[in-house]
Amino acid sequence: MKKTIISFLIILLLFSCKKNTLQIVKIKGKQLPITEKLVSDSSIVKTYLPYKYKMEKEMNTVLSYTSKDLVATDGKLESSLGNLLADLCYQKGNFVFKKRTGKNIDFAMFNFRGIRAGVPKGNVTMQNAFNLMPFENNLVVTELSSEKLKELLQYLITQRKAHPLSKQVKLKITKNGYNFTINGKPINNKKTYYILTSDYLQHGGDHMDFFKNPIKLYLLNYKMRSSIIDYFKETDTLKTKLDGRFVTEN
Amino acid sequence: MKRRKFIKQSTAATAFLTLGGLSLQSFSKNSLKQITILHTNDVHSHIEPFPADDTDYPNLGGVARRATLIEKVRQENPNTLLLDAGDIFQGTPYFNIYGGEIEFKLMSQLKYDAATIGNHDFDNGIDGLLAQLPNATFDFVSANYDFSKTVLNNYVKPYKTFIKDGIKIGVFGLGIELEGLVDPKNYKETKYLNPVEIAKKVSKTLKEEEHCDLIICLSHLGYHYKSDKIDDLKLAAQTKNIDIIIGGHSHTFLPKPTITKNSIGENVLVNQVGCYGINVGRIDFYFDDNKNKTSKGKTIIV
Repeated sequence: MKKTIISFLIILLLFSCKKNTLQIVKIKGKQLPITEKLVSDSSIVKTYLPYKYKMEKEMNTVLSYTSKDLVATDGKLESSLGNLLADLCYQKGNFVFKKRTGKNIDFAMFNFRGIRAGVPKGNVTMQNAFNLMPFENNLVVTELSSEKLKELLQYLITQRKAHPLSKQVKLKITKNGYNFTINGKPINNKKTYYILTSDYLQHGGDHMDFFKNPIKLYLLNYKMRSSIIDYFKETDTLKTKLDGRFVTEN
Repeated sequence: MKRRKFIKQSTAATAFLTLGGLSLQSFSKNSLKQITILHTNDVHSHIEPFPADDTDYPNLGGVARRATLIEKVRQENPNTLLLDAGDIFQGTPYFNIYGGEIEFKLMSQLKYDAATIGNHDFDNGIDGLLAQLPNATFDFVSANYDFSKTVLNNYVKPYKTFIKDGIKIGVFGLGIELEGLVDPKNYKETKYLNPVEIAKKVSKTLKEEEHCDLIICLSHLGYHYKSDKIDDLKLAAQTKNIDIIIGGHSHTFLPKPTITKNSIGENVLVNQVGCYGINVGRIDFYFDDNKNKTSKGKTIIV
């Protein structure tokens, strides 16, 4: 019995020794910043330069033309660029949505901050499209109740920012409230509304919480930037104007 | 059995942890083996450094500079592993135009050892990812994405093991839940499996069957969420056998690696280096062959 116990202990000892032959005794950890103090490895630069040149050529591809500077700041609650962006996304997005569901989108809404750059007068290039929309946001359609639609309107009225809206919308902030129509019709409390936006905003970006839990969400699998590029490509000269779709009395 | 448990506990009791540095003269340096881990995450197609007038990261980053740093570390210690925690793709026109080709070619030139798959690596669909795999000389590891019903079947392994200076290192990958984050058209029949359950299983395999001396989890779960959503810190707390979780997804710029506890009270490191190749993480593991009687535990210096 004693022998058995001893040999058992020896086996145990051997076993634990084997298990612990390599043991971590010290760990050192830190973050190393990549700064200009590090000399660039020329063999790496050599690999990517041809891609860079070709990319720059692609970025300089002319897609369209504009006879004036398109900016996001030429109106109070709307802008020529914001109107263009919302209308073209509506047009391109609705084509996909209608084909898939047989229904029409009611209107498009994006955020003012999402317009990242203006489009200067002259040739409109691929680079302009990337500057305008550097993010990979996708177009989505949210089906909202009339209550959520009213929340959306309240957001627009409280914020008083030129958030891009497509031309189906007419919104006027009045002294006593607001006047609102979609395609000339007021809100129907029994109806649900199909609103085009980006996945970023649908996830609550810019606190557009009314998009968060829609009745139904349709992913169009179509990048906002791709819709911009597609529209630019098929449009010889970009045309847009301020048309009073979102105004205030005071 | 009870006695073994007792031995284990007493070892744990003598283990010590030092923050901010401690003299290690008690260790004879020659008997220590050193493994260096270098890691990146969420590089998002950032090939060139940011321009000098960039508002967030002026003159920072750049693959060519990263190459110089990596080479320097490898010269210091040839027993170095270079890892990436996902979201290699998407973020500059390099991806939109070339579909990830140049990212993989450069990472291969930098001799990355392994990477895991981030949600943006699905941006051109699993077919788009598969199409670029021939440009990658390194392997992709993901243990909780089941690709068996997709074109990626057999291309992505749950884990990979490496032997450096006689030390066996196991690296496994974990990916974030795809539903709601990635268009189903892009991930197709990829099945997302519970990362905690998978991590427990795979780390056990690496420890007990593969007999790894060092176990690394490459995670694209994100550093921390206030909600119940699984993250690197929660993963660390719910598992054992993992020595370090190298994270991504949340673009968290940790000033230094986090030291946290696993399910049995042992220290685990969690690190993440922000995004866009602004930083590289460096973790050095020192191993003792146990002949050195002075070693009584693990010192962590961050």
